[in-house]
Amino acid sequence: MYGDHAFKLVQHAKRTQALVHLPHYQTELVRETTREVRDLDKDVSNILAPFEGSFNPSSEPATACSVLVNHLCMRRNKRCLLAYHRVRSDKLEEMCWSGKDILDQEQQAGRQGNGEGSGMASEAGNQSSLSPEEEEYIRQYGDMLAAYKGQWTDIDLTGSLEPPRDLFIDVRVLKDAGEIQTEYGAITLTKNSQFFVRQGDVERLIAQGYLQKLS
Amino acid sequence: MALPLPPGLTPPETAFLCEMEMVTVIPRQRLEGLELLGGPIPPLNPPYRTPLPLWLALLLKRQRRANVLPPPWLSPPSLHSILDFEKSTPSFSPPLPLPPHTTTSPPFLPSATANAPPDALPYHWLELGEMLLEAASDDIPEPDNVRRLMRDLREVRMAKMRAGVGVLEGGREVNMNGVGGMEVAEGRAFIGGVVDGLRKIGASKEMSRREREAEERENGIGGGEDDEDDMEI
Amino acid sequence: MDIDDILAEVDSHAVPPATRDLQELTRAWVTERSAPEILPWPDMLMERILERLRRQIELVEEQTGNTDPKANFRLIIIQTELERFKFLVRSFLRARIAKIDAHALHHLTDPSTKARLSPSELQYATAHTSLLHAHYHSSFLSQFPTSLQRMDDTAGGISMVEGPDVDKAVFVRALKDVEEPVYVEGTDTAFDMRRGDVVVVRWSAVREVVMAGDAELI
Repeated sequence: MYGDHAFKLVQHAKRTQALVHLPHYQTELVRETTREVRDLDKDVSNILAPFEGSFNPSSEPATACSVLVNHLCMRRNKRCLLAYHRVRSDKLEEMCWSGKDILDQEQQAGRQGNGEGSGMASEAGNQSSLSPEEEEYIRQYGDMLAAYKGQWTDIDLTGSLEPPRDLFIDVRVLKDAGEIQTEYGAITLTKNSQFFVRQGDVERLIAQGYLQKLS
Repeated sequence: MALPLPPGLTPPETAFLCEMEMVTVIPRQRLEGLELLGGPIPPLNPPYRTPLPLWLALLLKRQRRANVLPPPWLSPPSLHSILDFEKSTPSFSPPLPLPPHTTTSPPFLPSATANAPPDALPYHWLELGEMLLEAASDDIPEPDNVRRLMRDLREVRMAKMRAGVGVLEGGREVNMNGVGGMEVAEGRAFIGGVVDGLRKIGASKEMSRREREAEERENGIGGGEDDEDDMEI
Repeated sequence: MDIDDILAEVDSHAVPPATRDLQELTRAWVTERSAPEILPWPDMLMERILERLRRQIELVEEQTGNTDPKANFRLIIIQTELERFKFLVRSFLRARIAKIDAHALHHLTDPSTKARLSPSELQYATAHTSLLHAHYHSSFLSQFPTSLQRMDDTAGGISMVEGPDVDKAVFVRALKDVEEPVYVEGTDTAFDMRRGDVVVVRWSAVREVVMAGDAELI
C-alpha cells in the first residue's frame, strides 16, 4: 500500500533516536519510497494528460480528488525520507562533536546490527552501516567542523560540556613510578610521597594503581 | 548535535554557577594579590578576613591554606527558625531581598559572606551549603545539625513545589518567589513540562474560543457574553 | 573633600571591568542555555573576554616550568580559573550552535534571527545547510520530480521551514520593577513583575523584558 515503505522508514528513525550506535542504512526502503514518489508523479501526469493543460478541478471533482491524494502521498513520502536522513545525520554529527572515530564506531554498529537479525538486514557484502552518501557527508561535515573549531583553539570547542571540577588533585604514591612529565616539569614519584597535580596528567597512573587520589 | 543537554542549567551547571558566590575566608598563609580573568584577587594576609569566590575558597581550603567563615544563615539557630517558618506557610519563606538601584543578581551578590543576613535563604542556599559541608565541615559549627536541618528544609520545600503544580492553570504565569537555584535545576523538567502541557491543552480551547468570537461578531452579537463565561470559570 | 577624593571613592566602589564582563558572560550563558531561541551575539563582550583569555593562556605558558612552589600555587589558581572560563565560553558557543543546527533554514531566512548570529556562526550555518541539502539531494531528492525537490515548500499552507517553539516555559527573575504588566499573548493574562520576583511563564511573554535587561532567565 502507498505509504508503507515511508512508514517503515520513520519507524527506523524513531528507533535510531534511542540507540547509541547507528544501525544499517535502509538502502532498499529508501529506494522503494523514492520509486513510489516517481510512480505517483507518473500517475498524476497520466490522469492529467487527457486535459492537455486545461484541467479545471471544480468541473472534475473526482479527478481533482485523486490528484490531490497522489500529491499528499508524495509529500508525505518526502517528509518521511527527510526525517529518516535527518535523524541519521544528527547522530553522525553528534559523533563528530564528541570526537568519536566514526569509522570505528560504525563497524561496531555493523556487527551489532547483523546480530539482531531484524527482517531488514542490509544487502550482503555491505560491511558499513553508512550509505556512501552518508560517508561523504560526514567527511565534509568533519572538515567543516575542524575549520570552525580552528577559530576557537583557545577554548577547545569540542572539549567537555561538564563544568570543570577538581582540575588539580592530591595524590599519594602507592608504588615507585619513576619520573613523570607534567606541565610544571618532571616529578619523581617515590612511594608514600604526596603531590598536588593536574588530574589529567596522572589519570593513567591512577588507573594503573601507581597513585591514589586523596579526597 | 552540538549540545546534548536539555534546555536550562543542569544541577552540575547550577553548582558551577554557585561557585561564583563570594564567601569569607581567614587565610592561614600569605598569598600575593592576583589578576584573574574575573577581576583582581586581593592579597591574603593571615588572619585578615577576605572575601573570595567560592571556587577559590574551596581550593585554598582543600590545600589547608585558609579556613572558611560560614555565612550566618548556615547555622542551626537560623536554619531552625527558617524551617519553622517554611512549615507554617504554603509558599517559600521570603528570600533574601535583592538590593535596590542595581540589576546585579545571584551569584554576584554578597549573600554567602560572613556579613550576609542570618534570617533568609539566598538563591544558592542548598548547593552552597552542601559544598561547604563537604569541603569545610570543620569550619561550620554543629555540622551534623546543619546537615539535618538542610535536609529537612529541602524536603519541606520540595513538597511545596509538588503541591504547587496541582493548582497550575494553563496560560497563566506561575509564581515561584523564593525558589532556590538547585531546586529550579531539579524541578525544571517537571514543572516546565506541566506548564507546556497545559498550554498545549489550552491551545485548542483558545483557538475554538477565538473562532466562536469571530462567528459571534459576524452574527452581530457583542463580546459581552464571553466575559460572563470567563467569570464563571 | 575635593573632586579627586570623590572620584577615588566612586572608583573603589565600582565593579572592576573584568568582573563586570564575567557577570555579563555568565548571564549570557545562562540565558542561552535556557531560552528556546538564539539571542543576539554579544559582539564587544566576546571580543574583550577572548582577548583576556588569550593573554592569560600566554601567561600560563610563560610561567610553566617555574619550580618555585609559591609561584606554582599561583599558577594552579590561574589555571583553575582559566578552565572555568573556557568552559563558560565553550558551553555558550555550543548552546548557540545546537540551536542553529536544529532550525538552520529558519536562522538563515528569518531576518531578525539571522541578525543575531556572529559572522562565523552565519558562515557555519550556511555551510552546514548546503552540505545537508547536497546530502539529501544525492541520497534521494535528485530522483524526485523537479517540482518536489525544494527544501522550502509551503504547499498546503504548511511551511517546511520550522522555527523554535517560542512558547516554551522558562523560569525568569525580574531584575527591575517592570513598569508595564507583562501580557501573555493569546490569553487574558497579564501580571506584574517586581525586582526579585520569579515566575514560570512562556518565553514569548517575557522575551522583550529579558532582551531589555529588565529580567533574566534562571
